[in-house]
Amino acid sequence: MKSVVTTVVTAADAAGRFPSSSDLESVQGSLQRAAARLEAAEKLAANLDAVAQEAYNACIQKYSYLNNAGEANSTDTFKAKCLRDVKHYMRLINYCLVVGGTGPLDEWGIAGQREVYRALNLPTAPYVEALSFARNRGCAPRDMSAQALTEYNALLDYVINSLS
Amino acid sequence: MLDAFSRAVVNADASTKCIGGDDLASLRSFVAEGNRRLDAVNAIASNASCMVSDAIAGMICENQGLIQAGGNCYPNRRMAACLRDGEIILRYVSYALLAGDASVLEDRCLNGLKETYTALGVPATSTIRAVQIMKAQAAAHIKDQPSESFAGNRLRKMGSPVVEDRCASIVAEASSYFDRVIAALS
Repeated sequence: MKSVVTTVVTAADAAGRFPSSSDLESVQGSLQRAAARLEAAEKLAANLDAVAQEAYNACIQKYSYLNNAGEANSTDTFKAKCLRDVKHYMRLINYCLVVGGTGPLDEWGIAGQREVYRALNLPTAPYVEALSFARNRGCAPRDMSAQALTEYNALLDYVINSLS
Repeated sequence: MLDAFSRAVVNADASTKCIGGDDLASLRSFVAEGNRRLDAVNAIASNASCMVSDAIAGMICENQGLIQAGGNCYPNRRMAACLRDGEIILRYVSYALLAGDASVLEDRCLNGLKETYTALGVPATSTIRAVQIMKAQAAAHIKDQPSESFAGNRLRKMGSPVVEDRCASIVAEASSYFDRVIAALS
């Protein structure tokens, strides 16, 4: 799982040397930002259902054709699955905030994403809309501190870019 | 390879839970003790060659047969291989201590180590003794309390700002990684 520490250890191991002072320095840098990341992770975990529901509502409002018969949001089962997908991305963002890298999103969200959505005949634009809504919904200091919000938004941008 | 943070993530993903509240408390203390951990890794890395040569020399002092003809540290070529292996084990322990998780040690060092040593005819008891010496040395260096009676005029101190508890939690964690090595070899 890619994070600052594992990257540093992999590089040191490839060279067969003990962790050098510059290695320790980069780990220290990551730990300094960790407080903001963990704050964002905590706030997101506490409000994940509400955040996902708002994002889902916003995308269905914009792409209301999805409610038509035969479309991706037409039945109760489909609606539940759409909401679940948004929650899934939010949970992976929570993980990325904890790890301090994009490892969880890369490995469990983005790898194979395009192929799955193509096979299931799902449009990606509604996902982008839902995540963009969440991207612009967060507000500092109402929801979390400014630094925490920056970390959170950066990961939302990362997913949006992977889908567009 | 995992670190303390990704270990928490992998555990949470197994039950598709978010990480919040209580789970974050242990990670927060990891962050709060971050500088101690980096000092501890630095203490091991800075004293590595001294630790390895002392551990191997101590192992041989206790079992002179190793450097007699037919012993496993005879001739120099095999003694050099022994020193190299001691350094490799210590290096992976330092990685595990930096990451706060044993996965790098297990995956890249201990997996298959016992079988390799058995196939090469390396005596497990001697290897374990060298690891035990390194464990005691690592604890002494992390606490910054090297034994003055043993070290004599070669005493080395890191001078890092250890406080009253002498980084007890980090010492315990480092010892647990050495214990894993010993368990894997026995």
